[in-house]
Amino acid sequence: MRSNKVGWWLLAPTLAILGIFGILPFIYVLYLAFHQWNPFGANPEQVFNGANNFRRLVFDKEFLLAIWVTLKFGVFAVASEIVIGYFLAQLFMREFPGKGFFRTIHTLPLIVAPIVVGSIWRLMTTPSVGIIPFYANELFGIDINIGRDAGTAFLFTVIMDIWHWTPLVTLTLLAALLSLPKDPFEQAQIDGASRSQIFWHITLPMIRPAILATVFIRLMDALRTVDEVWMLTGGGPGAATRYLGLHIWKVVFPKTDYGYGAAISVIVLYLTLVMCWMLYVGLVAPRNKGN
Amino acid sequence: MAEVTVRNVKKRYGNVQVMHGVSVDIEDGQFVVLVGPSGCGKSTLLRMIAGLEPISDGEISIGGRVVNNVMPKDRDIAMVFQSYALYPHKTVGENMGFALKIKGTPRAEIDAKVAKAAAILDLGHLLDRYPKQLSGGQRQRVAMGRAIVRDPAVFLFDEPLSNLDAKLRVAMRVEIKELHQRLKTTIVYVTHDQIEAMTMADKIVVMRDGRVEQIGAPLDLYDNPSNTFVAGFIGSPSMNFIKGKLSTIDGRTVVRADGGALLPIEGVQAEEGRPVVYGIRPEHIDIGPGGLAARVSVLEPTGSETQIFARLGDDPIDAVVKDRFDARPGDEISLLIPPRRAHLFDGASGARI
Repeated sequence: MRSNKVGWWLLAPTLAILGIFGILPFIYVLYLAFHQWNPFGANPEQVFNGANNFRRLVFDKEFLLAIWVTLKFGVFAVASEIVIGYFLAQLFMREFPGKGFFRTIHTLPLIVAPIVVGSIWRLMTTPSVGIIPFYANELFGIDINIGRDAGTAFLFTVIMDIWHWTPLVTLTLLAALLSLPKDPFEQAQIDGASRSQIFWHITLPMIRPAILATVFIRLMDALRTVDEVWMLTGGGPGAATRYLGLHIWKVVFPKTDYGYGAAISVIVLYLTLVMCWMLYVGLVAPRNKGN
Repeated sequence: MAEVTVRNVKKRYGNVQVMHGVSVDIEDGQFVVLVGPSGCGKSTLLRMIAGLEPISDGEISIGGRVVNNVMPKDRDIAMVFQSYALYPHKTVGENMGFALKIKGTPRAEIDAKVAKAAAILDLGHLLDRYPKQLSGGQRQRVAMGRAIVRDPAVFLFDEPLSNLDAKLRVAMRVEIKELHQRLKTTIVYVTHDQIEAMTMADKIVVMRDGRVEQIGAPLDLYDNPSNTFVAGFIGSPSMNFIKGKLSTIDGRTVVRADGGALLPIEGVQAEEGRPVVYGIRPEHIDIGPGGLAARVSVLEPTGSETQIFARLGDDPIDAVVKDRFDARPGDEISLLIPPRRAHLFDGASGARI
């Protein structure tokens, strides 16, 4: 057998980076989660306090609210992205004038940094300055103020996320649609299926793996979104758009409650894993028999 | 059950015309094979009958009803694709019952029909499997089962055996033929394999470059090909073609091959010097004394027969004999060519004389 030494040496840089920037911080966060540590508090020492941080979480109304609005945000944003993304993908399957141009424009949001996306939307939605409140008022007489109205603020964080991430969904689903064999669809036509029957019985099941992969990626992303929302609403008004990532940031940095922040991070990771596992068990695993 | 009529059908893609007025009559219950080399338009014609491809000009009718503008689902046809086109996410049973389910047929009736078709094709034990868990031959049978369940007026087969290995192909050929004898449904079958065409068809349509070259019963095409294309396409190994000119020697008409040999023919009035193509099938040539002298180049024994590649003058010629034949490359042999078996084609157009 050939020596594996060279292989390990070649892997070493990657493993080192992974260890230093991935595994060590994770272990450190896990360690902190079981300690009380507020360097600027009354007692700046790290004190082991068992599962107290986690116990505190369960009764922390702000945290529970953050979980609830984050889930709401994730579900609304990802569901809309999948639906809109699918229709756009279907649109790009057809030929129409200016298709290449439109597709390029449509993909551009993907390469914009989240913080910039947040700034753009902040500018567009600032009351009496932004283009959106201005025209909403001018054309429809609607008063849009994301700094005052919780529902509107939530809505705009969702719209922003859709604007930013739908192109990713479109591209993924387009790739899935383009890779489908043509014959089963012709067979379905001959079998007498209508367009909607073909969609439900043939197209959807056949691109299901791509849809589920996209849902996973997007849901995990949505659950840890920080910078965009921080830029757009700052988590407000009140705590209406204070999603988990933002909540952790608020606990950890302004309050310097590092131990408690670490505990929240661990719980959020756990929740994300649980959600993905439930999605997998509920949707992917039972259908994998044929594949 | 229905007859299919294709009347002067044309197909254009933009400015390019790929089908030039094809007409075929298919009687009720007939097994018709469309055959020709790739790109001859046979699959396009089948897809036009299925309604998957629009017709640029002409008329197609199924069961007396013009279906030019009828959707595939309303044509009462079932199709078997070369790729089988099974739904990968459905079980064998679901694949076979899909068309009925779409129609809103009661569950019990679907199950009964699927079970019946599965019994015909010996698929009963596979109904809960997914296509990926099946072999090529089994998938092929599922595709056929799906067609049978529909109980359509016409079956359309698009090169259904091309993806199978040689042995399985022979077995499935027999199975499809038996199926046709049992169901007596009209079948239109596309293939590039002339053996499939010869063995299965009631009627063969030979196509080339978007045109019909000849239509007829298999043996009719074999015995009386209307031109060199059909003569060369039908039959295996292919017919020998030797270019030459008509001439008369001692009051008998012969073909003087460009390569030098004198080839006997029968029943043709001599038109001295007319350029012709002389056709003779390898299996009609015999070896024996008193024939034409030829020189062996290659022998191919297959056990049941021996194929001899030789040179007759300067022309290559190919003969198949039933017996074992012992010779070496370079040996001289004597070929017996029965004049009544010879075919004569015009040297310029290739049409039969």
